[in-house]
Amino acid sequence: MLERAGIPAVSICTDAFRASAGAMAKVMGFPEFEYVAVPHPVASRTEKEIADMVHAAMPEIIRILGVAE
Amino acid sequence: MTTEPPVLGDAPLADPAEVRRAMEYYAEKGWTDGLPVVPVTDSYLKEFLATTSRDPAEVLIPMPHINKHLTVRLAAINAALAGCLPEYFPVVVAAWEAFRADGMVTRSIWQSTTGTAPFIVINGPVRTRIGVNCRGNVFGSGFRANATIARAIRLGAINGLGLKPHVLDQATQGTPAKYMCCIGENEEDSPWSPLHADYGFAAADSAVAATVIRSVLHVEARHSTAPEQLAFDFADSLCRTGALVRPLAAGYIVLNPEHARLCDRAGWSKADLRQAVYELGVKRYGELRRAGKEAISSGTHWRVPIEHPEALPQDVLDDEAPVRLIDTPEAVHIVVAGAPNAGVSSIVETFTRLEGPPAIAKVEERP
Repeated sequence: MLERAGIPAVSICTDAFRASAGAMAKVMGFPEFEYVAVPHPVASRTEKEIADMVHAAMPEIIRILGVAE
Repeated sequence: MTTEPPVLGDAPLADPAEVRRAMEYYAEKGWTDGLPVVPVTDSYLKEFLATTSRDPAEVLIPMPHINKHLTVRLAAINAALAGCLPEYFPVVVAAWEAFRADGMVTRSIWQSTTGTAPFIVINGPVRTRIGVNCRGNVFGSGFRANATIARAIRLGAINGLGLKPHVLDQATQGTPAKYMCCIGENEEDSPWSPLHADYGFAAADSAVAATVIRSVLHVEARHSTAPEQLAFDFADSLCRTGALVRPLAAGYIVLNPEHARLCDRAGWSKADLRQAVYELGVKRYGELRRAGKEAISSGTHWRVPIEHPEALPQDVLDDEAPVRLIDTPEAVHIVVAGAPNAGVSSIVETFTRLEGPPAIAKVEERP
């Protein structure tokens, strides 16, 4: 939605939601839409674990955004 | 002498292989909740559409974020698939209107992990006209109108809005109420005014109240002798820690007529029972703490442990300190349903905290 409005964006979900993410992309007419899947879960992790997850996902987020680091 | 239902001899003439082929076709397409559906032809669909003055293209539920819209025509197809009779269709349309007014369905609640079910309460003369069960086994099976009106909503979600389990419906576990949770109010055995009449409809109107729910809890109170005892049971059930995601508790009390009469005999009105449940709607801080739900998140406003990074600052209370979980009598709605044969009632745990009138739509029947 944001990208269609001209705002670069990357969708992030946990790997437990891959089926839904793929289905959403399909119903919105963008079946090959690239998104980042991080390990599940999020809600029960510590702040440190979340920060580590973000760092680990960053190269993939930047790759999908299509900008140089 | 056999008492079994007829197998074929007395049944209308049909080619069983053709019937099975039609049923398997729908199953293979995934146009089902798992149970067999009724095949729908154009002429059968017309019988449903003829019961309403609505344009078949009218949108009942808009879902632009998934590129879907549930039209009157789609609602009719799914009512027919569900096994509704055409004369049930105005009730199905009213139910969809109430779900739209309720607001949670259009905000994608049926894509959520919570896995909420449709909850439908039918009031007024249409109950007797189409045979809606309001009495014994009111949440159970055995009544075509209840079973198929509820199923029309579920199949509308699955086929009309594309909310299929494991795909766009991300429910972690769901609830058995997803199969059927449609009741009529037992107005005849209730000492009080019916739900729709409490919110501006004439008692002679037929109306449908709808919202989304997490679960239906059984409340046994067979030997209670005072309304205060019932109010304690209801408040305790509504405030159980396992139900708390949001800061506050809310729900319907589906009161059986025996409990309603017990209240009435003691001089309690529906408003008095709501007030009493509200007043008892507290938990001890220590109980919330032991469940890790003593604080509120600044981001989601969900209940979290006090040490959670998003926990809003708050004082650490004494374990015995009361924390209010029902903050207004309006958070509790009361419907009378079931048989007047035992002290068994239910709590229906709604997804949202109901504040003010529940979403109710009038059943518009074609003259």
